[in-house]
Amino acid sequence: MPAALDVAADLLALLSDTTTEPRADNQLEALTLAVSADLPVLLWGEPGIGKTAALTQLADALDLPLTTVIASVHEPSDFAGLPVVGDDPAVQGVPMAPPDWAVRLVRAGRGLLFLDELSTAPPAVQAALLRVVLERRIGALTLPPGVRIVAAANPRSSAADGWELSPPLANRFVHLQWAHDHDVVVRGLGGTWPRATLPLLDPGLLSDAVAFARRAVCELLAARPALVHQLPTNEARRGGPWPSPRSWEMALRLVAFATAAGVSREVLSMLVRGVVGDGPGLELLAWLDRMDLPDPEVLLADPAAAVLPERGDLRQTVLDGVVEAVRRRPERSRWDAAWALLVLALDTGAPDLVVVPAATLAVLRRDDWEVPAAIDRLSDAVSVSRLADRAADRVEARSGGRR
Amino acid sequence: MITLDAEKLYAARLHAVRSRPYLATALFALQVVESWRVPTMGVDRHWRCYVSPAFVDRTPVEELAGVWVHEVSHLLRDHHGRSDRFAAEHELTGPGERLRMNIAADFEINDDVYGDGLVRPEGAAVPSLLTLPDGHLMEEYLRWFRLGPHTDDFAWLDCGSGADGLDREWELGPGGAHGLSEQERDAVRFRVAQGIAGRPGSVPRGWLRWAERVFHPPQPWRDLLGAAIRSAVSASGAGEDYTYGRPARRSTALPGVVLPSLRRRPPRVCVVVDTSGSVSDAELGSALVEVAGIVRAVGGRRDLVSVLSCDTRVTESMCRAEGITLVGGGGTDLRSGFARALRTRPDVVVALTDGQTPWPTTRPPHRTVVGLFPRPRVVDEDDPDYRPDAPPEWARVVTIG
Repeated sequence: MPAALDVAADLLALLSDTTTEPRADNQLEALTLAVSADLPVLLWGEPGIGKTAALTQLADALDLPLTTVIASVHEPSDFAGLPVVGDDPAVQGVPMAPPDWAVRLVRAGRGLLFLDELSTAPPAVQAALLRVVLERRIGALTLPPGVRIVAAANPRSSAADGWELSPPLANRFVHLQWAHDHDVVVRGLGGTWPRATLPLLDPGLLSDAVAFARRAVCELLAARPALVHQLPTNEARRGGPWPSPRSWEMALRLVAFATAAGVSREVLSMLVRGVVGDGPGLELLAWLDRMDLPDPEVLLADPAAAVLPERGDLRQTVLDGVVEAVRRRPERSRWDAAWALLVLALDTGAPDLVVVPAATLAVLRRDDWEVPAAIDRLSDAVSVSRLADRAADRVEARSGGRR
Repeated sequence: MITLDAEKLYAARLHAVRSRPYLATALFALQVVESWRVPTMGVDRHWRCYVSPAFVDRTPVEELAGVWVHEVSHLLRDHHGRSDRFAAEHELTGPGERLRMNIAADFEINDDVYGDGLVRPEGAAVPSLLTLPDGHLMEEYLRWFRLGPHTDDFAWLDCGSGADGLDREWELGPGGAHGLSEQERDAVRFRVAQGIAGRPGSVPRGWLRWAERVFHPPQPWRDLLGAAIRSAVSASGAGEDYTYGRPARRSTALPGVVLPSLRRRPPRVCVVVDTSGSVSDAELGSALVEVAGIVRAVGGRRDLVSVLSCDTRVTESMCRAEGITLVGGGGTDLRSGFARALRTRPDVVVALTDGQTPWPTTRPPHRTVVGLFPRPRVVDEDDPDYRPDAPPEWARVVTIG
């Protein structure tokens, strides 16, 4: 008869016999990129939603040994160093001895340090930990560059003793919101956990990625100087990311990494919103979208080869840009090219988009410019416009009658 | 068989854009999909707009324009995401509940989206049909009505999964062509919100409120006040200090190592309550219960929490479990309240006020949290330029309610 624990072990083995399946995971991709970029990451998430499991997967992917330190069971001196009184303190000084995990990390030269449960640690411990995160120092030791640090905290509203970052500290982190995916959890408990394929940097893209990131951030900030520095004033936004020269530099680095790794805009969106905040982050992303759009001058130079974006709102932006370019430098050939582009837009998409640019372009005509033949083909846009005019008149008449 | 009258459909969109220029980006971002399965017009969460040719044929352009704006409003206001969250939170399943969400979402949109150039389409669902008030959010309406005979008129209602989060058979789904990714959807919503913030004058209040909150959902004041007080009470310097009084508990195990020892005395909290006539009892009651609860949760003993009622006079009352007596009713000068609070040598002062008061000019030695009851600005006829002072920089201010 087998011993009771042997049967239990068999049952446990059966329970742990799970498989994995590939599945895109934006959170994990964002975390991987931020850690590769050597920026301190702060994961915000309720307890028990798989932050530790994610870190284990990340450590596997980056091939780094994982060291987990639960902040709440330590004392401040475990991070600031323990003063050890030697034979002659007046001559040798009092060394600050680091704890064993730090010594092992430094000896290994590389590793992933996960500081869990920051929010439940007493304030003095949190203060000591921030020095670890920001200055990478533990007592007399300095963590080597091969060590990457990730911290985790519970959201402010659920934290029992109110862990909160002051604005200068919040400004140094990449804030990532960690949430569980309902489907993943249900399927995982059924025996199949997801396996994310993590982004890899393409060595051939590095210099292009840097140039692209610099151009994107610099052009945006040149056009919008107010975005450079905005201290959070609202109580609801305290402790979160906000824009400053330092966090813009982090954003630049993240754009370069995201470009070199070819990750999706979703992942980049989580990252830049996590360093400069939602508003400025979205502005940067909108700017990147605009950089993807065709240049009006290129379109005007060769309208026959032009390809307009499919999406209506982007197409509208491009057409407005073309008309604006003609207005700035009105020349006969450019005016004709713009008409050709409008005809192209009409042939390949919705007619209502063409109405406003066509009207603006018509106004730009000089007396000696002949109306191009292409203008006849814009009749669809004209009839759409007329239908809308008539509808507006009817609405006007109806509300006028009621008054 | 009727073919889709694209000219009419796009003329309607043009009319919608002309009367609501701030929605242009969103309207143009919609991808039209002709469909015989959708009853009228519907949207999915990937910003595709399904259009029934028969519906376009029988609907006048000006009404179609209203439908365009209505459908895009579902997407801008994230009704599908909010429906999913509401359903998950309240464990609601089934198409009946989703129909209810569609109706509630329509209520939220329809009360202020029409007029001023846009015609309300025939049979649009408005709150007054169920004798509900205008101007509320979908989640509020959902609490107020159930499906029944009185909602039968809405049974045909179907704005697609973009309105209620329930995927329809005819929709193309996440893998289909021309969908917008999550980031693209956010970008469009952001551009619309920016457009609205850029010209607030010509935009209805419902949209203004949306633009303010779209990327910053308001946090409940209880959480904010709790976080502010907890952080003030537990921050270093309040009620704790290093001491040589007793060695650390680990010292005996580590000879030769000097260990600091952390001691903590419970923080002393003083709550200054503005009991002037302008603050209502209900407001005060809820805020005060909240403060007392938070202070107790962070380890404040009852004898260390004192409460001052403050109008022109200052009265002290002890915080008791069974209730707090407050005296007052006149005008306010919180400065005397602060001065009196200082005498209890508090670590933290929590002031609950409507802000119609002068503030101390110098920074007090304790941390200060102000719970502020918002007030519309009242114009003083004798002194029309009078503005009450804003709470000082050194206080953390949480707006209550």
